Amino acid sequence: MTVLVGVAVLVCLAYLVFTTAVYVTLTVIGAVESLVRKQESRTDDFATLGVSRFTIPVSIVVPAYNEERVIAATTRSMLELDYPEHEVIVVNDGSSDGTLAALIDAFGLQPYEAFVRHVFPHSDVRAMYRSPEHPNLVVVDKVNGGKADALNAALNVARYRYVCGVDADTWFDSKALLKGMRLAVQDPARVIGVTSHMTTARKPEVAMSADPGRRRIDLHPLMAYQHLDFLRAFFNNRTAWSRGNYMLCSPGAFAIWRRDVLEEVGGYSRTFTCEDIEITFRIHEKYLREGRDYRILSLTDNVATTEGPDTVRKLVSQRERWQRVIDETVWHYRRMWFNRRYKSVGLVGTPFYLLTEVLAPAFEVLGLLALAGAIALGLFQPLTFVVMVAAIAFTNAALTASAILFEDLQSRSYRVRDLVVLLLYTPLDVVVYRPILLWARLKGSLGFLRGDKAWHKFERNERAPA
Amino acid sequence: MDDLVLRVGLVVLATAATAWVVLSLLVVVGRLRYERIHRQADERPLKPREAERLVRRAAGYPRTEWGRWRRVSALQRLERARHPAVPRLLRRVLRDPDPKIAAAAIRTLGDVGDEWAVELLVDALRDGDGSRSRVASELERLVPTPGPRLVPLLRDRDAIVRFWGATLLRPYPDRGESTLIELTWDSNPEVRAAAVETLGTRHGPAVETALSARLDDSEWFVRVHAARAVAHVVGAEAAPSITRLLSDQRWWVRTAAKDALRGMGADAVPSLLAMLTHEDLFARNGAAEVLQDVGFVDFLALDNPQSPLLERIYAAGGERYRDAAIARLEDGHLHDVEEARVA
Repeated sequence: MTVLVGVAVLVCLAYLVFTTAVYVTLTVIGAVESLVRKQESRTDDFATLGVSRFTIPVSIVVPAYNEERVIAATTRSMLELDYPEHEVIVVNDGSSDGTLAALIDAFGLQPYEAFVRHVFPHSDVRAMYRSPEHPNLVVVDKVNGGKADALNAALNVARYRYVCGVDADTWFDSKALLKGMRLAVQDPARVIGVTSHMTTARKPEVAMSADPGRRRIDLHPLMAYQHLDFLRAFFNNRTAWSRGNYMLCSPGAFAIWRRDVLEEVGGYSRTFTCEDIEITFRIHEKYLREGRDYRILSLTDNVATTEGPDTVRKLVSQRERWQRVIDETVWHYRRMWFNRRYKSVGLVGTPFYLLTEVLAPAFEVLGLLALAGAIALGLFQPLTFVVMVAAIAFTNAALTASAILFEDLQSRSYRVRDLVVLLLYTPLDVVVYRPILLWARLKGSLGFLRGDKAWHKFERNERAPA
Repeated sequence: MDDLVLRVGLVVLATAATAWVVLSLLVVVGRLRYERIHRQADERPLKPREAERLVRRAAGYPRTEWGRWRRVSALQRLERARHPAVPRLLRRVLRDPDPKIAAAAIRTLGDVGDEWAVELLVDALRDGDGSRSRVASELERLVPTPGPRLVPLLRDRDAIVRFWGATLLRPYPDRGESTLIELTWDSNPEVRAAAVETLGTRHGPAVETALSARLDDSEWFVRVHAARAVAHVVGAEAAPSITRLLSDQRWWVRTAAKDALRGMGADAVPSLLAMLTHEDLFARNGAAEVLQDVGFVDFLALDNPQSPLLERIYAAGGERYRDAAIARLEDGHLHDVEEARVA
C-alpha cells in the first residue's frame, strides 16, 4: 500500500512539475507576444480605419435563447459599435421567454420576408424582422435547434465577407470590431479567424459603461476569480498559442471568421455540445491536412465583458459544460494528437489540451487522494503538505500576476485599486476557486463519458427592472 | 522522501512568492508611472542627444521583432518632433520585410501628410511596400493632395496598381474619366470592377454606356458592381436591365440587383411586376422581395386587398411572405403607407 501511494504521489508530482513548466513556458511566450502587440497597438490608427471604405464589412451574428433580460441592451451595444459597415443578425432560437417580444419592442421590428441562401443547414425559420430605425439589424425567429443551429441560420442571412459570432449576454467596447479586424484588414488572404481578450462580470453593462482607465472590476470573490481565470486563459495561454500558430479555441463570445472558410467546412456542427472549440479544431484540421497557409489569431485587446455566473451552482453548471465540450472535441480529433502532419497543432496544441484539460481532473483527484494517503501512512508530515500547497498557490499566483501585468500594459482599463485587490486575491485561488472548478470538471468528464450533450444554460443574474 | 519534498517545496515557495511580489509591484508601480507620464505632453522638443540616439535607433536594422518595434517607436517620436531626418528614415522603414513594421511607417506617413509623404505612399502602392489597402486608407485620408499622382497609376503595367489607381480616384470626379472608361474593358476583372465602382459616382452618356455594357460581364463580381453603379448613374431607366439580373446564376449578383432596385423605389415596380411570372424561382422571389421592400405590397394590401395582382405577388413570395405582409397590416405597422395612400 505504502509503495502504491508513494508511486501515485510521485506520478502526480511529476505531472505537477510538467504542467507548471508548460504554463511557465507559455507565459514567457505570451509575454513576448503581449509586448509585441503592445508595440503594434501604438501604430494602430482606429480613426482612419473607422471611416475607411477599405475596412472590410462584418456581419455580427448573435444566437439568443431565453435572453429577454439582456437582449435589447446587448443588441443596442452591437449596433453602436464604431465600425464603417456592419450588420447585426440576431437569431431567436425558439426562446420560451419574451426574447423576441423584447426585441420587437426595443427596435420597433416589422415582419418581412427575405430570400436568403441555404448554404448552412438549420431548423425551420418562423419569421424574419427588421427595424425601420436600424437598417443594419435583422432578427430571425426560428424553431429551437441549439446554438450551432442558430449560428448557421444567421450565416445564411449574413451578407459580408467576415462574420463575428458573439454571445447575446456580452457587452462590447465601442472599438471591438476595429480592434478585432485590424490585422484581418492587413492580410485578409491569410487571417481567417480572430478572437480577442474579454472579461466577465455580474453586470457587464456596468463594467463597460466607464471609460478605459476608470473601469471597475467586479470584485465579488466569485467574479474576481472568474476575471482572473479569463486573464490567465487569454494572456498566459491563448496569446502564446496564437504566436505558435495553434490557437485552438475561438470563444463563442467573440469569434471573427472569414465567411468562406465557414462555408468550406460546412458551418457550425450541431452534433457537439458547444460549437466554438469544435469549429476551431475543424478548421485547423482541414487547412493543415490540405497544407494551406493561414492564421487564426488571439489578440490581447480587451474587447468585451460577458455575463458570468454569480453563484457556485451556476458556475459549476457552466464549467461542467465547458469540460464536456473540450473532452468531446479533443477525443473527436484524436487523429491530430502528436501527428506531425498537423504541425504545431498536432505536436503542441492538441497534446496540451489532452494533458492539461482532459486528463487534469483525473490527475488532480488522484493527487488529492495520494497526498491524503501519504499523510495517513506517514510518508508526508502535515507540514510538508502545507508547504506544497503554499508553493502551488504562489506559483499559480505569480502566473496570474503576470497575466494582470500584461493585461494592464495592453489596455490600462481598470482602476489601480481594483488591480491591487485582484493581486491580493491571487494566492488564495488554489484553495478558494480551483476546488469549485475541479468539481465542475469532474462532473463534466463524467458527463462526457455518459454521452451527455445538454447545454445546462445558467440562469441570468438578477437585475433591477429597467 | 518527506524531507526532500519539503526542501524542494520550500525552495519553490520562496521563488514563487518572490516572483509574485515582484510582479505585483510591477503592476502597481508600472500603472502609477504610466498615469504620471500620460499626463505629460509627449510633444516636447527633443534634446540634441536624445534626437541623435533616436535617429541612430531608427536607422538601424535590428534582427529581433522587439528591436524593430523600438525602431518604429523612435521613428514616431522623431516624427512628432518634426525632425529633419524623418523622410529619409521613413523611406527605409517602409521597405521593411515585416508587414507590421511597414504598416507603422505607412501610418506615420499618413500622419505627416506633406507632399513628400504622399509621394512616398504612392510609391509604396506602386512597389507593393506594406499592405496596399493600408496605404490606400492613408491616401484616402489625405484627399485631395494625392489626386494628381493617382492618374498615372491607371496606365501602370501591373494590374494591381491599375486596380488601386481606379479605386482611389473615386473622390476626384474631375480626374481620369476617359482612362477609367477604357479600364472597364481591361483584361483583368478586378480592374474592370474597380473602374466600374468609381465611375458609379460620375455622370454622362459615355459613363452610362460603359457601365451598362458591364452588366453582361463574364465575371460575377464585375456584374455586382455594375448593377449598383448603373442604378446610381442611369437611374430608373435602367430598371429593366437590372431586373434581368434577378435571374443571374450568381447569388451575389442577384443580391446586388435587389439592392439597386430597392434604391429606385416605386420607379422599379413596373419592371419587377413583369418578373413575377419568370420561369426562375429566384427571380420571382427576388422581385417579390423588392416589391415588399419598396412598400408596394403594403400599399396594395391597404388600397385593394382583394387585388389579383396582390395575389400574384403573394404567390411569387410564398407562404411566409404572405404571413409577414398580413402581420404588418394587422399589427398596425403601416401608418406611413396609409398616409401616403390617403395623400
